[in-house]
Amino acid sequence: MNTEPDLKLLPLRKGLLEFVVLKIVAGPSVYVPDILRRLAGTEFATQEGTLYPLLSKLRREGLVQYEWQESDSGPPRKYYQLTEAGRAQVHALDQYWLQLHRTIADLGHSPCNA
Amino acid sequence: MQRVITVSLNHNSYVLEEDAHARLEHYLAESAATLSSNPDRAEILADLEQAIADQCNRRLQPGHTVITLAELQPALEEIGRVADPAASESVNHGAAAETVTRPGLEQVSEGAWISGVCNGLARSASIDVTLTRVIALLLLFVTGGTMVLLYVVLMLLIPYTPLQLNAPPLRKIPAKCREIVTSLRAKIAAMV
Repeated sequence: MNTEPDLKLLPLRKGLLEFVVLKIVAGPSVYVPDILRRLAGTEFATQEGTLYPLLSKLRREGLVQYEWQESDSGPPRKYYQLTEAGRAQVHALDQYWLQLHRTIADLGHSPCNA
Repeated sequence: MQRVITVSLNHNSYVLEEDAHARLEHYLAESAATLSSNPDRAEILADLEQAIADQCNRRLQPGHTVITLAELQPALEEIGRVADPAASESVNHGAAAETVTRPGLEQVSEGAWISGVCNGLARSASIDVTLTRVIALLLLFVTGGTMVLLYVVLMLLIPYTPLQLNAPPLRKIPAKCREIVTSLRAKIAAMV
């Protein structure tokens, strides 16, 4: 990743991380290493130190829930899923994202009205 | 030869070398401090402890049972510093800003003689530690030993500063004091 112009976009990515995590959790239920692996190599690559607090916040907001599942090696793991509210939130965010995208694209080459 | 310390990470025991233990203690203390206003603090810390345990297990060479700094350090780097989403919100609301700026009275283990009370007092008052030690010793003679009691009380009450990264290991007595006080506090916290 090139760092210089990246720095300006950092707050944008930070803000979108929650959205991105919700989108991943929207699929089949996942545990934290799955989410990390899914994001590794993308613009949203993150770490457990960020992800656990974020997931606990989303859970507090009622957007995700988790259940314990036994694992072959080691202690049981938390598998996360969206709640109904979470699903509605992802849908709303998707719509909003499309709208933002359209707005930004339009601003680039729209004829000036003024 | 290194001494080893057994710790419980999310209710499973792990054996660490002394310097790895100091590093881990620092990481967890720092994480706990970052999450101090987070209602799910205990749960997130348990998640992190499990993540650390998993990472170390993965890195441990076959046949080895003791976690060294060589395994712990990359594990902690991969896990990363804790970022509290709730805290960044409250900064936006202008609330949590002043708590970080000025550290209160703390015990400083690095360079301490006993537990770091004089060291910490000197740092908060921005004076030389020799001065606080001389005063403490004078008080010890004047009070005929009662000062020892005061020292113990302060030692139990004043929080420790997190250990510095990459600093040389603590001297024997400060390290021992810190260990005893930390475990005593944990026991008291468990009882309450």
